[in-house]
Amino acid sequence: MKLYKYITLAFTGIVAFSSCNKYLDQSPDMRTQIDDIDKVAQLVGSAYPNYNYLAMAETVSDNVSDKGVGKGSLDDPYVSYYYWEDVEGDDNNTPTQYWNGVYAGIAAANQALEAIEENDFGPDVNPYKGEALVARAYGHFMLALFFAQPYNISGDNSSPGIPYVDKPETVALAQYSRETVKDTYDKIRADLEEGLALLQGGQWKVPKYHFTPAAANAFAARFYLFIGEYDKAIQAANNVFPSGDYTGKLRPITTTIQDYSLAQQLIELTKADKDYNLLITETYSVVQRNAPFQRYGYSQRLYNELFNMPVFDGTTMYSRGISYNSGQDYTIYMYNEYFYYTNVQAGIGFPYIMQPLFTADEALINRAEAYVQKGDFGKALADINQFLSVRVRNYNASTHNLTIEKATNSYGISDPKEALIEAVLRIKRAAFMSEGIRWMDIVRHKLTVKHLVLDANDSETEIELKPEDLRRVFQIPSEAKLAGVEQNPR
Amino acid sequence: MNNLTFGKRCSDQTHSPFPKIFRIMKMTTALLLVGLTFAYGSGKAQKVTLSLHNAKLEDAFKEITKQTKFKFLYNDNLIKKASRVNLNVENTPLQEVVSQLLVNYKLDYKIIDETITISSKAGVNTIENSTVSVAIDQSTVTGTIRNTAGQTLSGASILVKGSNAGTTTNAQGEYSIQAAANATLVIRYVGYQTQEISVNSRTTVNVTLNQIDNKLEEVSVVATGYQNIDRKLFTGATAKVSAADAERNGVPDISRMLEGQVAGVSVQNVSGTFGAAPKIRVRGATSLSGENKPLWVIDGIILEDIVNISNEALSTGDANTLIGSSVAGLNPDDIESFTILKDAAATAMYGARAMNGVVVVTTKKGRNTEGAPHVNYTGNFTTYLKPNYDQFDIMNSAEQMSVLLELDNKGFFNHSGVSRASTGGIFYKMYNKMYEYDEATGTYGLENTREAKLGFLERYAQANTDWFDVLFKHSLLQDHSVSITSGSAKSQTYVSTSFIHDSGQTMGDNVKRYTANLRNNMKFSDKFSAEILFNGSIRDQRAPGTLTRQSDPVYGKYSRDFDINPYSYSLNTSRLLTPYDENGNLEYFTRNYAPFNIINELNQNYLNLGNMDLKVQGGLRYKIIPQLTASVDAAYRYARTERQHYILENSNMASAFRAAGDATIADGNDFLYNDPDLPNSLPQVVLPEGGFYNTYLDNLKNYYFRSNLEYDNTFNVDHRLNLFGSFEIRHTDRQNSGYEGIGYQYKNGGLVNPNYRYFKKMIEAGDPYFGMGYEYDRFVAGMFRAAYAYKEKYSLNATTRLDGSNKLGESRVARWLPTWNVSGKWNIDQEDFFNEDNGIVSAVGIRGTYGLVASLGNANNSSAVFYNQIAYRPYEDEKETLTEISSLENSELTWEKLYEVNIGADLQLFNKIDVTADWYKRNIFDLIGSIRTSGIGGQFIKQANYADMKSTGFELTVAGSPIKRENGFNWRTQFNFGYNKNEVTRLDVNQNIWTLVRAEGAAVQGHSQRGLFSIVFDGLDPEYGYPTFIGTEGEKDTYLYLQSEDVDYLKYNGPVDPTFTGGFYNNFRYKNFGLTALFTFATGNYIRLQPSYASVYTDMESISKDMVNRWVMPGDEAFTSIPSLLDPFTMGYEVLRPNGTTVNAVYPYNAYNYSDQRIAKGDFIRLKQVQFSYSLPASFANKLKMRSAQIALVGNNIALLYSDKRLNGADPEFFNNGGVAMPVPRQYTFSLKVGF
Repeated sequence: MKLYKYITLAFTGIVAFSSCNKYLDQSPDMRTQIDDIDKVAQLVGSAYPNYNYLAMAETVSDNVSDKGVGKGSLDDPYVSYYYWEDVEGDDNNTPTQYWNGVYAGIAAANQALEAIEENDFGPDVNPYKGEALVARAYGHFMLALFFAQPYNISGDNSSPGIPYVDKPETVALAQYSRETVKDTYDKIRADLEEGLALLQGGQWKVPKYHFTPAAANAFAARFYLFIGEYDKAIQAANNVFPSGDYTGKLRPITTTIQDYSLAQQLIELTKADKDYNLLITETYSVVQRNAPFQRYGYSQRLYNELFNMPVFDGTTMYSRGISYNSGQDYTIYMYNEYFYYTNVQAGIGFPYIMQPLFTADEALINRAEAYVQKGDFGKALADINQFLSVRVRNYNASTHNLTIEKATNSYGISDPKEALIEAVLRIKRAAFMSEGIRWMDIVRHKLTVKHLVLDANDSETEIELKPEDLRRVFQIPSEAKLAGVEQNPR
Repeated sequence: MNNLTFGKRCSDQTHSPFPKIFRIMKMTTALLLVGLTFAYGSGKAQKVTLSLHNAKLEDAFKEITKQTKFKFLYNDNLIKKASRVNLNVENTPLQEVVSQLLVNYKLDYKIIDETITISSKAGVNTIENSTVSVAIDQSTVTGTIRNTAGQTLSGASILVKGSNAGTTTNAQGEYSIQAAANATLVIRYVGYQTQEISVNSRTTVNVTLNQIDNKLEEVSVVATGYQNIDRKLFTGATAKVSAADAERNGVPDISRMLEGQVAGVSVQNVSGTFGAAPKIRVRGATSLSGENKPLWVIDGIILEDIVNISNEALSTGDANTLIGSSVAGLNPDDIESFTILKDAAATAMYGARAMNGVVVVTTKKGRNTEGAPHVNYTGNFTTYLKPNYDQFDIMNSAEQMSVLLELDNKGFFNHSGVSRASTGGIFYKMYNKMYEYDEATGTYGLENTREAKLGFLERYAQANTDWFDVLFKHSLLQDHSVSITSGSAKSQTYVSTSFIHDSGQTMGDNVKRYTANLRNNMKFSDKFSAEILFNGSIRDQRAPGTLTRQSDPVYGKYSRDFDINPYSYSLNTSRLLTPYDENGNLEYFTRNYAPFNIINELNQNYLNLGNMDLKVQGGLRYKIIPQLTASVDAAYRYARTERQHYILENSNMASAFRAAGDATIADGNDFLYNDPDLPNSLPQVVLPEGGFYNTYLDNLKNYYFRSNLEYDNTFNVDHRLNLFGSFEIRHTDRQNSGYEGIGYQYKNGGLVNPNYRYFKKMIEAGDPYFGMGYEYDRFVAGMFRAAYAYKEKYSLNATTRLDGSNKLGESRVARWLPTWNVSGKWNIDQEDFFNEDNGIVSAVGIRGTYGLVASLGNANNSSAVFYNQIAYRPYEDEKETLTEISSLENSELTWEKLYEVNIGADLQLFNKIDVTADWYKRNIFDLIGSIRTSGIGGQFIKQANYADMKSTGFELTVAGSPIKRENGFNWRTQFNFGYNKNEVTRLDVNQNIWTLVRAEGAAVQGHSQRGLFSIVFDGLDPEYGYPTFIGTEGEKDTYLYLQSEDVDYLKYNGPVDPTFTGGFYNNFRYKNFGLTALFTFATGNYIRLQPSYASVYTDMESISKDMVNRWVMPGDEAFTSIPSLLDPFTMGYEVLRPNGTTVNAVYPYNAYNYSDQRIAKGDFIRLKQVQFSYSLPASFANKLKMRSAQIALVGNNIALLYSDKRLNGADPEFFNNGGVAMPVPRQYTFSLKVGF
């Protein structure tokens, strides 16, 4: 009898313990599992950087200048950027924050891809797999742009790239390698091309916040331009809109937008229902709050240079000259800060701006540049002039259009290809003021950046960032040393 | 007081049979193989069931007493040599049984008043050398027998030593006996120590007996929550505090009873608000990010908190700290004792939850009162003392006016700047008044002349408002507690209920709490017993309305919108402001663009906290064979908490939503709404009517089940073995939800007519108006413990346990953790070589242990964690649900663990002073916290096991009763201290300046678990008097990037937690008078003073008196370190960095608050409690039909006898962070205790 009791007891114990694991499988909170296509799609939706590069890209470029002693604020990181110094910390608008934000997006892509691999979701998941691949490529591409040496078209690309992450991290402090610039770009291309092919048929609730085929092609156009594959760049730009026709798809700067009230303009440019916005993402940022009020920022001098002086003979581009403090602090006024209240009653929350990552305008002007590079000047000029048609006030094709002669004469460059490239870069600089695009051109074309420094008597000195200057590559966050990733040389 | 952790030998007490049997009952049973079967003995026809084999006669008596409550009265000599007895009877009348028992012994008996007096049969001299003789010169001796509580004992036996003469006390505890003048009386009473007292020619001999029940339990049994284990078998470091010794009349929270009582247990009152637990540390902190709070085990069941609030978060003052401690639902009157398990050997049974020590609370049980109800009432009537400005260094109104006039002269207050500000005091009022044009009279509210202005300001300059007097009250805290104990041998019941009504320390708070407690113990047979407990509490509490605190690391500030904490308001508000105007009406100033008056706000913006907590617990014990007991314990707990935040329409918080004013104000007011659909219009009011009614629910459902098997046997007399196995399962669901009720119209009978724009703003802003979430806690564990003792000399213990939890995430590897422990004890005094008669050391033993315990850290990412979230986008048609990675997988995640070695010694000196000393060393590793990673994996800040720590400590307790005179002066004392020093040995993260310099401190490798650092002050600027510092480059600077990780130039002050804490307790008793005093002390820590310096002061906030000594003109920097008041131009252009760039003056002035100039030592000596009591004489009490009565006057938290002068009298334990946090008040209590 006793023995029987013991056996029963022991048996009960064993059964109890083996079922413990099942009992403990309960999630500790209301977390979710990636176990169906909807969840995969939702996860891929967060594969985009939640921080932006606007402050860093603009303030190191020549889109800013010194307003003078006693004018504007001297906040970091703006001051450090202006003097091309390494920025401390991981606050808003720092390189470290952007680095972290991009890799966070890449992690979401990788988690989604892993879930796709581990589960059998069938072919319906393909567009989201494609989106994850393209988003992963995009993230790495942007990081390479800022944190690695530029890709040398048909040159040496053996300098360190950036760590290419293609699977989820599972340990606290994983080790990574930068490999080479070539490796990085090869992997970007592989992901982009594999992903692009899968995107067809994707259904998105809010497509403009995802890599739709159009957005992915706009990215491809930018990417192929960087690696010098111009045919592919043209092809990609053509795929953005049916038959490559950009008519009516560009930002109506000199028409509709010009007539908006300022408050309206602030809202409209970043809306998803506009054809010109191909990909938008929500980014945590105080850039619209801070940047216009910095001493080193978009100044009256720059406004005059870009929009009161011809971009080439006879043609002056247009921008509303919007400024704070009686013409001291200029702004393009396109990023409305949306304040996400975590508690309306307490008045606390997060500042966000909606950042257009890809626009029809950029795709078109990239196609123009690809045509120039290929020597197809006719098509290039057609694209450039289509672009100018919405950027020049009271546009008149016969007087405002660019021609090869105008280009060579205006810039004193005899080589038509080089002259047209110069025209494209100048047009882009003005057209994408405060959008960070200028830094991409500076990197790709190895342009020298000049910054003006004013002293108390407003006498000017100039500092330069030459193409070979090591400071052109942003410093990799010091924490990356924990992962065995070496810093950029200084 | 505090009962010591080592086993006194059982044989050092007395040689009388009753207590001895009680004390070693368990052992007797085992040794003699007495199988006793119990049956009901009904009250009237006393029946007995006995099954005795070779039992001692006295054991038989003892059993009969137990079953019937009849007492035996006899002379030891009569039965000393009686042979052993065998008897089997079932349900046999008492008289018959006694006759049968005595039949072979030629003993006779009489039964009078439930006392069975045994005597030798008349004329038969059966006992050798019978010394019975007739004494000469006998006189009548009378007296009263009482217990230590002053209650009279009826039925106590009084025997004249060496004779057969004996009697018992009557219902009033009185006796009368014939005895010789030189005779010795032996007084016996079941459950009390037998006392011998010589008559010494007296005719009145009153005797007080000491209860042995408690004593026995305290000394020979350790309550671990799992087992009540024989002290002989227990080898860990524990301390027991009996509730009677630790009682704190007038302090309704039991967690404060531990203050100063136990070496190595520090209790820091970071908030005195009811419900906010003090910061309790057992042997210091063991975790960097975790809760560090000990596990509370109530009657064997782990008490879960309704919300998990870390000890650090307790000092934030956030509203949820009010429900941070479930212990607040217990009635102090229901507590029997606390046992604090300190070292790894003691806590081993809690395995992976044991790292922070365990507080085992035992509540009162019913006693056998033979069915008579014993009723006890306790009433405490307490009043508070208001704080006053003498304790603080705050400028009076005249001093402050001179500062403000200086600022005014420097151009800070001018019409354009002040009149449209969001916040404003007297200058705001003055400038606006100058523009109030009265058309009828053609005059302005105030003329813009110097005279008019000074006239206006004069009233305020003379106001010298005492905000403490305005906002604090001398109100009454009353608590009443009634308990009833009643029981028979088979079933005992304890029922209690209590009620507390605290009218509040301030205008903004009050509490009501009701508790009910029922405990019943039942014995169905000698094999089967059961217990059921029911515990319930209801709390109804009011607190000032508060929102969650925000941290601003850029400037280095914490902020809380709409903070109306009366204590911080009194400290931080200028004494120039007046609560009432000349006509006695409330006077309003401006906050958030809306009118503000603190009295109005406290009435219009408040929290109501309702809490209901029910626990039902049951236990069954079954003796399978005498040596083997199976038992199960199970509990179900259900707690609901509702926090209601009332924001009435006239509150500042609701009015701020309506402050549209002119365009400047509308643009500046964040509480208005910029409608994206109306881009060209001004911001709009979204709350045109009403206020808010916000509710937050925190619910808890907790199930617990445990089954145990215990084997206890003795082999060959000397070998004792105890095996204990247990399996437990725990299931906790926590639900929380929050709901914002918008536009509730309190004035209109609860009408709700909200404006759609409020919801539009919320929806666009991504702020849901309600939310609900669950947390699930699942836990299983299996445990095995083996204890072995050889004679009384050696004992050895080994414990192993396997814990499993779901809290770490889905990984099946990380969730399991085995822990283990070995320990041993050597009672040196039991060795033959120990000279018992040395006169100094009466007992000595040493203990040692080594083992692993652990704790769950606050990380749950053993697998990747995803949450769903609505995308942060502005428009309805652009929002979508996203799945976010909250945390990447950390496959290496594991529990926080520590290895501990503990060596302890227990000594008894002169037979009356107990000394316990413990030394320990802990190796703490795998600590969890936030680390910064490369970010490449996609998560910059991760939760991971990133740090190791070591700590060492020493604890000493000296306790005893140096003076002990019957009916005379008694002195009981206890002195204890604990020293704990820890050092972080590994830390995979760099801290930034801000986390190191703030009051809470942070961990840095090579320093303590929470170290406080300071920015190094480098003098005042000789030209302008602003502060300068040693910057991150090691040179003089005015700007410090507070998030910088260059911390080399910070100064390490010391730990935030005291390294040395202790208490000193004294109890003096003379006859019916008692005096108790408790001192607590601590040292070794540093405190960040309140941040009170700013680059510019508003006309609202108070200013430190130190400002009188501020820098005024060049040269002053040699004599003062108090920074100057800057003028606007200097602020804007002349505060320079070394490279010549200007810097915002906010930076250096805020940095000054975190510099080495703003540090104080945390040392203190505190007179925590003084109690003066008087017990009514029994004769008097009896006339009032009471068993006992006592009155006491108690002062709590009376005086801070010593603290750093730099604190200016502020409480070194209290973090003044606003919200609902309040300091522990000084209070005086009248206490009444009566028993019927």
